[in-house]
Amino acid sequence: MPLDMVVCVKWVPNTQVVNIDPRTGTLIREGVPSIINPHDLNAVELGLRLKDSYGGRLTAIAMSPPSAKAGLEFLIGMGVDRAILITDRAFAGADTLATSYVLAKAIERLMPVDIAIFGQETIDSSTAHICAQTASWLKLPYIYYVVDAKLGDGKKSIVVRRVLEREVETFELPLPCLISVAMKSNVPRPVTLSNKIRAKTEGLIEVWSNDVLKLDVNCIGLKGSPTVVSKSVPTPVVPRKKLKFEGTDPAEAARWLLDRLEEEGVKVV
Amino acid sequence: MAQQAATKQRIKRIRLEDALNANVWDVDTKPHIIVDSEKCAGCADKACTYLCPGGCFTLLAGKVLYSYEGCLECGTCRVVCPKGAVTWNYPLSGRGVQYRFG
Amino acid sequence: MGLPAKFDVAVVGAGPAGASAAYTLARKGFKVVVLERGRAPGSKNLFGGRVYSRPLERIFEGFRNEAPIERWVKREILSFMTEDGMVSVEYTSNGSTSFTAYLSKLSAWMASKAESAGAVIVTDVRVDDVLMENGRAVGIVSGGDRLYADVVVIAEGVNRLLCEKMNIVTPLSPEDVALGVKHVIRLGTDKINERFGLDSDEGLAWFLVGKATDYMPGGAFLYTNSATVSLGIVVFLSHAVREVKRHVYDVLEDLRASLPFVRLLEGGSLVEYGAHLTPEAGLRMVPRKLYGDGFLIAGDAAGLLINLGYTVRGVDMAAFSGYLAAEAVEEAHSLGGYTSQNLSCYERKLNDSFIMKEMKRHSMVQKLMVKGHVFELYPHVLVGAAKRLFEFEETSPKLLEAVNDSLKGRCSRLRVLLDVVTLMRGP
Repeated sequence: MPLDMVVCVKWVPNTQVVNIDPRTGTLIREGVPSIINPHDLNAVELGLRLKDSYGGRLTAIAMSPPSAKAGLEFLIGMGVDRAILITDRAFAGADTLATSYVLAKAIERLMPVDIAIFGQETIDSSTAHICAQTASWLKLPYIYYVVDAKLGDGKKSIVVRRVLEREVETFELPLPCLISVAMKSNVPRPVTLSNKIRAKTEGLIEVWSNDVLKLDVNCIGLKGSPTVVSKSVPTPVVPRKKLKFEGTDPAEAARWLLDRLEEEGVKVV
Repeated sequence: MAQQAATKQRIKRIRLEDALNANVWDVDTKPHIIVDSEKCAGCADKACTYLCPGGCFTLLAGKVLYSYEGCLECGTCRVVCPKGAVTWNYPLSGRGVQYRFG
Repeated sequence: MGLPAKFDVAVVGAGPAGASAAYTLARKGFKVVVLERGRAPGSKNLFGGRVYSRPLERIFEGFRNEAPIERWVKREILSFMTEDGMVSVEYTSNGSTSFTAYLSKLSAWMASKAESAGAVIVTDVRVDDVLMENGRAVGIVSGGDRLYADVVVIAEGVNRLLCEKMNIVTPLSPEDVALGVKHVIRLGTDKINERFGLDSDEGLAWFLVGKATDYMPGGAFLYTNSATVSLGIVVFLSHAVREVKRHVYDVLEDLRASLPFVRLLEGGSLVEYGAHLTPEAGLRMVPRKLYGDGFLIAGDAAGLLINLGYTVRGVDMAAFSGYLAAEAVEEAHSLGGYTSQNLSCYERKLNDSFIMKEMKRHSMVQKLMVKGHVFELYPHVLVGAAKRLFEFEETSPKLLEAVNDSLKGRCSRLRVLLDVVTLMRGP
């Protein structure tokens, strides 16, 4: 049975490496290009692996400004079949509730969908709420921290594994369902020339404004977002000790390091 | 004294790590630099440890340790290695350093 | 996997050479695809900071009005620097033949022009090989994919891994290239204007030799952009591999942290630190043949760059070689095909253009520059003479006395004469 899958991604500023101005200690934002949320690439990779195994179609969805087109082209470059860019000023300023509502409505519009895949969280807000909230809107089962997945025996379900701190859990969920993929759980495949040329020449990206989705403006964007950011506190800068081992012997270096850690109160077992 | 302190403050140096941190990166999980340590061992000068502007090559106990994360993709390591020990290629999928100014 | 899409021309690299070739070809009606390894055109490009404008104006319509120009260079300084001091020659003018820029932005702009003209720009894709069939280039290979094209323009940049694989060139040696490392420091427009004595649209190009690079052949540079300053050093790898005494980053950092730069750049914040190789061997690095059956080589990959010691021309030469490659493709097409013979017009076009004339005209300067003594001797002679001239107590020396005193023990007048003759002599 070929699978019809969607993967929801976010277009975020590249803060993967936090660039702190060494003089002022503030975040360098100037000209920082946006990228597809790196954790979403693990979701895309999992979707592509399912597609490799069972055939089917993987559609990427992003609710983002128009510049996200470049990111969606990147995903098509990886092997995603087509993409939907949900973009409208009406969607701007959305919190997770409004975002998940729009994504749920988009997925509904694409039904029948077997699996909707999400990254664990985004690097710019790290809520990890979107998968669960979207599932609630759709009234479908969902599961988090998935590291791999395969179809169940009757092809009517999906069997996923998730790695917790002390155990590996296996679950079987009926299709359709939503899964959130653990960050760094796989190595996203590189972009290929043939896929990237398709992205550039075959018009595989659809743009949906609210004229297409026709959602109640009170449920989307800033208006549909009850979250209030009351206060923003910068992360305290913890001064580093910057100790340097000056010897050359690796074994000695290891002992030295353990000693320093013990001095700091780390219990070495 | 105050003036001396002011001068000292002024010539505060930026460490290489901090300079590299001023850049935007999208580092690949796979290395794009591979050093053949056997070939490398036969080199006396180890010019790469001075000339790699990203500090990807450092000496530890007479051996070259290398990393690829801070690679500025200039290609110097490949050119200055007299032993042909450096296998170097550009990262895939546009990964690596992302120059905004250049 | 072979791709169904077939293009007339595949261009490797969306830098100045590749983007210029693609723009020119697309405007002539060719179906062009550009393969760029970076996330966006320009994201892997880096240079010193100055561009000579005229060749680009000939290539791109509306260049002066649209291109991301930072400041037009109105002030030039050439300095000789030692531990003891600095002697500078300064030139100010109201000309506008060169400007400062960010290469990432300039390349992106050029590529966007090519895209508007109809070229397909494919980013995130590394070209691994030029696809050869029966000794003729018929496309490119990237991973497991092949893309066919009637002719390939190789504008892959200075490292020219493809040309190396094709056995057109030998692997780069330290004699071929120089390493440039550079800081981009945000200072703000007002401070730049104040400290460098500039108006908002006026730029400074400053070259330094001597102590700035630990006397290694090469030089340091400072360019003013609108709100940032580019400060960097260039070292010839031929010398650096032997003479470098500390990490090249420390050489740059020491320069930034020394007078006068520490004052000029005070309060600035580092926004980017980058490095790139640059062709340095003059004609030596130019491949024997810049064309073959089904392909042409342009830009840094072709070794087309001139370092005169007081200024560098790279971007304009790269872009113009791309433009001439496009013209050659058109001419070969009208002659019936992209055979080596038909594409040989590329070499003729290069020879007739300023590019090869300049490369040949200045070949002696390049020869002089690779002689290491120039970078150690002359800064010391000049600073020594200046010290004699200006730091006297009772007896003030005559001008020639000061120079003679300074030369004494450092080198013979014959040596100086020979250097001058080398410099003056034509090719």
